[in-house]
Amino acid sequence: MYIYDEIDQKMVEQRVAQFKDQTQRFLAGKLTEDEFRVLRLQNGLYIQRHAPMLRVAIPYGMLVSKQLRMLAFIARRWDKGYGHFSTRQNIQFNWPRLEDVPDILAKLATVQMHAIQTSGNCIRNTTTDHFAGVAADEIINPLVWCEIIRQWSMLHPEFAFLPRKFKIAVSGSLIDRAAVGVHDIGLQAVEESGVLGFRVWVGGGLGRTPMVGKLIKPFVAWCDLLTYLQATLRVYNLHGRRDNKYKARIKILVKDITPEVFAQQVDAQWQMIKNGPDKVTEAQVCNIESRFKWPEYDLTLTENCALAQVEGNARFDRWLSTNVHAHKVAGYASVTVSLKATGVPPGDITADQMEAIADISEKYGFGELRVSHEQNLILADVRKHDLYSLWQELRILNLATPNVGLLTNIISCPGGDYCSLANAVSIPVAEAIQRRFDDIDYVHEIGELDLNLSGCINSCGHHHVGHIGILGVDKAGEEWYQITIGGRQNGGNNHLNTNNARGGGAVIGRVIGPSFAREQIPDVIHRLIQTYLTLRDSEVERFIDVVDRLGIEPFKRDVYADPLLLVKPLIQKEVANA
Amino acid sequence: MPDTNLRLIRNGQLEADSIRLFDDHLTANSALYLPPDEAHWMVSFDTWLDKCDFLIKRKFPVAVLIPSDADISRIVQVSVTHAHLDAIAFIAINFPTYTDGRGFSLAQMLRSQLGWKGELRAVGDVMIDTMHYLARCGFDSFLVKAGHDAQAALNALTTFTVHYQKSYSQPFKAPL
Repeated sequence: MYIYDEIDQKMVEQRVAQFKDQTQRFLAGKLTEDEFRVLRLQNGLYIQRHAPMLRVAIPYGMLVSKQLRMLAFIARRWDKGYGHFSTRQNIQFNWPRLEDVPDILAKLATVQMHAIQTSGNCIRNTTTDHFAGVAADEIINPLVWCEIIRQWSMLHPEFAFLPRKFKIAVSGSLIDRAAVGVHDIGLQAVEESGVLGFRVWVGGGLGRTPMVGKLIKPFVAWCDLLTYLQATLRVYNLHGRRDNKYKARIKILVKDITPEVFAQQVDAQWQMIKNGPDKVTEAQVCNIESRFKWPEYDLTLTENCALAQVEGNARFDRWLSTNVHAHKVAGYASVTVSLKATGVPPGDITADQMEAIADISEKYGFGELRVSHEQNLILADVRKHDLYSLWQELRILNLATPNVGLLTNIISCPGGDYCSLANAVSIPVAEAIQRRFDDIDYVHEIGELDLNLSGCINSCGHHHVGHIGILGVDKAGEEWYQITIGGRQNGGNNHLNTNNARGGGAVIGRVIGPSFAREQIPDVIHRLIQTYLTLRDSEVERFIDVVDRLGIEPFKRDVYADPLLLVKPLIQKEVANA
Repeated sequence: MPDTNLRLIRNGQLEADSIRLFDDHLTANSALYLPPDEAHWMVSFDTWLDKCDFLIKRKFPVAVLIPSDADISRIVQVSVTHAHLDAIAFIAINFPTYTDGRGFSLAQMLRSQLGWKGELRAVGDVMIDTMHYLARCGFDSFLVKAGHDAQAALNALTTFTVHYQKSYSQPFKAPL
């Protein structure tokens, strides 16, 4: 975990003072609604359906126990006793009062946290692999680089008012778990002639016009990273469209002027600044590295001393197979704390659970946690011989659902129950699917499957890159849901397609056909799964692999030929006409 | 009562703004029509580009107003010779809304790439809350919008005393 120095701390405190003044001026009528709107957004404050929503930054998903306890305190004191982890590795509170927000931010600053740039048309929280620093296939530890980018992007004077929001992701590993292909800028660590650096993808993103990023620079040496980012942002800031917010993301600029021309313009800017003061030095990297408190591993552990107690416990075995992940240090593992129990909105966590997990992280994981973009928590460094007792503790808290990587580990936005942008609800749909697939043996038999759900085209639930994606749409005031299949966030473990050069292998899912009514969705998913199970050539072939091999046609045919799935909309239409 | 006429922040103080913008719409047909050679005139960027050969000969240099969507390659033309740059009283960059961030890039490029060392003024939707960013991008005078307390805007220059980005001005750096 990165520990603030005096400068970091002072900046956050000065920002708290600035926002307090802005809020007071707004409440006193000295700042208009219009003037205040963007200022509050850049401090994470939305006006939502029920109340303001405050999004607190969790830079690259890293948390320590003290911070999680503070989030629990805030949830109890100013909210309704819970929070929601977002797909951007941040946490959201849905019920604070505007007048209280300056006090909440002041409290956050005492534990080195803030809400800066969690919304608005600025550089947002940089995200990364939730196994950063512990993954065995790592080339660069992305945590250090995320912190370098965090500092560079925070209160950046030139890029505070971009045409649209701007998201950067960093992957330090061979397998991209940061979805670099669907970010405004995706950085993939590479090594070239003994020098470490990054591949730079630009113009990926989801939303209304989903696109996979274009590779605009195959190699940027580590020392040139910030100046290259600066040049890229400058070209976007000057030339990105500001007349139409639906065409304002960098992906539209890159498409309009072509990736080649965009790359040339960036290069022209970069040549003028690459040897300037923002060139990264070795001293700077060392300094930031040294401000991290790294886990002090017990290096006497071996792989063998691990799992004595487990013999014959099928439930534990199942949890091991999905929620426990390989670690670079012998005798350790990473553990996903599932926030995807059936009946709980995906990513939601109560204040009691936050405090319990804070305790658990101190007992089992050096007091550190990560938030995954799949809206779960990660204990990155757990001794293997502690896994059994950890599992028992998590079970009591309803945090050991063995479904990570499986169908019921649904990524979902808060949807129409909370969000004023949504066309349709998300949480009840996610719950209905989880209930339809309540047989955990069956879910395990189906195997790896990403199911992502968004309540509107803004795509906060990343439906475009779900193996199965569900999108809420509004048709004449009614909630309908469109299904896509074949999306993925990276090339992952895909044995059929080893070419990850395209945006880390990300693919946008394809729509299978007309939308369905809300109550049909669990049956539609069931039908898709049945088709998959019939078509797969072995248990190793995943849902996504079958879609790759055979296309969407067989799935489409089966779903739309299923009489059960046709009846309901007709009835609904008749009722509507009656 | 604060004097609401003192909306211009310059040299760390409040001043009254006495600049007049030369209205080139009236004179579109008259190629040689220029503002009288007296103090406090500002011309549009287009007028400057069209008529700088005349304008550089003035006894009282004009200011040049650059719109936020100015073509960067044309800004380069302004600085073709230092004689031209010396003939400009100051450069103003317009912010049609404070969320139009192009002016920040234009200012930073004028300072760091085009060698503009003279006065650089932010005009338009200039408010308390953007003062700090403006100063860091190289602006050193600010015409604060109506309805915003200019004294508070002046104070806002020191909102932050610490910074991360090294290639931007750090005028209010805290002693460590």
